[in-house]
Amino acid sequence: MTAPLLQVNGVQKRYGGVHALKGVDFDLAAGEVHVLLGENGAGKSTLMGVLSGAVSPDEGSVALDGRPVRFASPRDAHAAGIAMIPQELDLVPGLDIAANLFLGSEITHAGVLAHGTMRQRAQALLKSAGVALNASLPVASLRMGERQLVAIAKALSAQARILIMDEPTAALSAVEADHLFTVVRDLAARGVGIVYISHRLEEVGRIGDRVTVMRDGLVVGTAGPDAPQAALVRMLVGRPFSDLFPPRAGTLGAPILRLDHARFEPRHPRPGWQAPQDVSLIVHAGEIVGLTGLMGVGRTELLSALHGFGANGRWHGTVEVRGKPASLGTIAAARRAGIAYVTDDRRGTGLVLNHTVAQNAVMSTLRRVTPFGLVSRALERREVATALDTYDIRPRLPDAKVVNLSGGNQQKVVFAKELMNGPGLLLLDEPTRGVDVGAKAEIYRRLRALAGSGLGVLVASSELPELIGLCDRIVVMQAGRTVHEFGAGPAEDEVRRVSEGEVAAA
Amino acid sequence: MTTVSTPATAPRPRKSPLAYLVRFQSLLGLVIVIIAGIVFSPRRHGHILFLQTDNIANIIRSISETGILALGMTFVIIAAGIDLSVGAVLGLCSVLTAQLLVNEGWGLWSTLPLVIVVGVLFGAVQGAISTKARIQAFIVTLAGLQAARGLSLIVSNNSFININYGQGPGSAPPAFAVLGERIGGVFPVATLVFLVLAAVSAFVLNNTRYGRYVFAVGGNEKAARLSGIPVNAVKISVYALTGFVSAIAGIVHAGQFAFGSPNDGTGYELNAIAAVVIGGTDLFGGAGSMVGTIAGAVMLGALANILQLNDISAAMQLLATGAIIVAAAALQTLVVSRGTR
Repeated sequence: MTAPLLQVNGVQKRYGGVHALKGVDFDLAAGEVHVLLGENGAGKSTLMGVLSGAVSPDEGSVALDGRPVRFASPRDAHAAGIAMIPQELDLVPGLDIAANLFLGSEITHAGVLAHGTMRQRAQALLKSAGVALNASLPVASLRMGERQLVAIAKALSAQARILIMDEPTAALSAVEADHLFTVVRDLAARGVGIVYISHRLEEVGRIGDRVTVMRDGLVVGTAGPDAPQAALVRMLVGRPFSDLFPPRAGTLGAPILRLDHARFEPRHPRPGWQAPQDVSLIVHAGEIVGLTGLMGVGRTELLSALHGFGANGRWHGTVEVRGKPASLGTIAAARRAGIAYVTDDRRGTGLVLNHTVAQNAVMSTLRRVTPFGLVSRALERREVATALDTYDIRPRLPDAKVVNLSGGNQQKVVFAKELMNGPGLLLLDEPTRGVDVGAKAEIYRRLRALAGSGLGVLVASSELPELIGLCDRIVVMQAGRTVHEFGAGPAEDEVRRVSEGEVAAA
Repeated sequence: MTTVSTPATAPRPRKSPLAYLVRFQSLLGLVIVIIAGIVFSPRRHGHILFLQTDNIANIIRSISETGILALGMTFVIIAAGIDLSVGAVLGLCSVLTAQLLVNEGWGLWSTLPLVIVVGVLFGAVQGAISTKARIQAFIVTLAGLQAARGLSLIVSNNSFININYGQGPGSAPPAFAVLGERIGGVFPVATLVFLVLAAVSAFVLNNTRYGRYVFAVGGNEKAARLSGIPVNAVKISVYALTGFVSAIAGIVHAGQFAFGSPNDGTGYELNAIAAVVIGGTDLFGGAGSMVGTIAGAVMLGALANILQLNDISAAMQLLATGAIIVAAAALQTLVVSRGTR
């Protein structure tokens, strides 16, 4: 048997007191897609740093084609044919594709840029990467998926034999991700070895030839592409999948939200915005209701139309909050009705990162701490202390800037900010997107606890196993309509069939 | 992911000494400038000219107008906006005041409220255009600057209006002259106006719900909207505020100099922005301090004064001002880049 393309043996790395890699073995064959899974802090990034020359290991060896190599810098690794595509793509949006592909290695004639030559070669590179894009398009005009493909072409321009991709689908739509997979498979078929770092368990079977799971600086195990998700989760977090979900609640309260054949009419209709057409659903106090359906059926739009952010308009049909007709459709109306929305985009729409925990926590309840429009420091302090305690925000420092908190604690501040208002209904859109499995379990526990305290919770998610494990009921949508409702714990296949348009078994 | 594994006990985020330096940079700068003033001041008969009552009165009088503008500018910049029209609106309000008092024979009690309403409306309209039509404030207020200059030429009929005091047509009410006077022969009335407005501004920014709204809108507009804060109203209101302070500054200008000219206040917007930036307010919005702005304004005035006392050319004054602005911005950038690592 010939030596594998890449072989890592017993690699260790310490940062001060942190033992980031505790003796890692890893190998990659030519023409293989090897998925690397791991939670934040598992050591994936450090390992990739070692492979791409950015990190020099304390112990252990790296071999290419069976010959030991030692990279002093990313440039060395690059010269050896290892290219890394970081999550934040290193493309210049203002330049066209050709200029990006030749950035730093421009072709010149007598010191003048040879635009024609570069464009031709760029076009050839794009073609060889299976990308149908015109090389003279500015990168700024491309969608995220297309940029990802350009980044791949750029890596290939350096004759890369090993490609390291760091969560390439994190910002892509399902269609874009599909296309990316095709390109990646095609590259592998031509003998490129690909290390594919991911958070998403469902990608393992679709793209990988093998999967290796890391935890706490160690390789926990390597499996084939058909490894069941439950087994992978157990490897990732060290406990079974079913343990991620808290037990369901027993008693239901009164209905908080009731929609009956309700239709939303946006004030400014937009193409591609699937307005709710005919929605019937009930959320009771104390329960978690899931909202599912294929991409673009209007899950997000339904939530928007309820909480008023990104949607402005009027509801027709029956819309009741706590048994009374409610007029929703603006942020102000939703707040009056006691509807809170926890955004998944905490940096973009959830928090003021440069402000303190205290400032953020009282942001939606400023009225309460400013009697007669004047700030009462005493009321403010009391409010913030309650928030810190109730949501267990760490460190317990009101004056810490939110930007310095961990992602999980930032998310807690978003919850605190919204829930300090004492809402009756909580809306969440993809609450665990981009979050690793351990943190997901924490979010599930918190949602169940909130429901237990009498809140109604409506969750939209594209991850079916999550909804099935978490929710008391699941509502399926198609083209802006609610078409079916499942009770607790339905079979995944059944829900999928209904989502895809088949009539549910009675 | 760029997250580094964090130990179980999160480290206490400590404020770096640099952060304190930025927070009090303008006060610190002010102290340094004052010390420099004393050291480098020319002396006459053993007296330090810089510290002479008359000289200090001159400094605080000279900063009263840009200081007043800077107060409003602080609100706008904290709300992540900018207002380039303040100098031109000052000019418009100055000629309007002179025109109404002198040539139209209006009294003080009708002129001043009208001028203030004009300033507030001018600002509010700019704010509304920027917010509703989603045009950058830089562009809208740049256009506003041109428009206000044009209006001042129309109002003044393209001429310089002298304010004579007295009774009857062609003269302004003598009471208006008070703006050019000094209390007890020492303390300029114009400075008093600045100080009163400064105190009110600092209170509003730090101790009212409105102030919190301004910080939140500038910090993250979307998050503010999602938190139920009336974002559009806040954004329009800060431009109404700069319009208000521009009107007050215009009235003070007319009173101090006893004339109104369509070119009044040319370039003042840049001095006002300079005072705000030196005061530690973040041009990206969401962070800033009124005390910093006030100190920044006084510092710029004192600096100009020292250079004048030493007969250093106007060119050097401009260069020194530029250097200080860059230093203040560099200090902030340094702290911001440290803070997010």
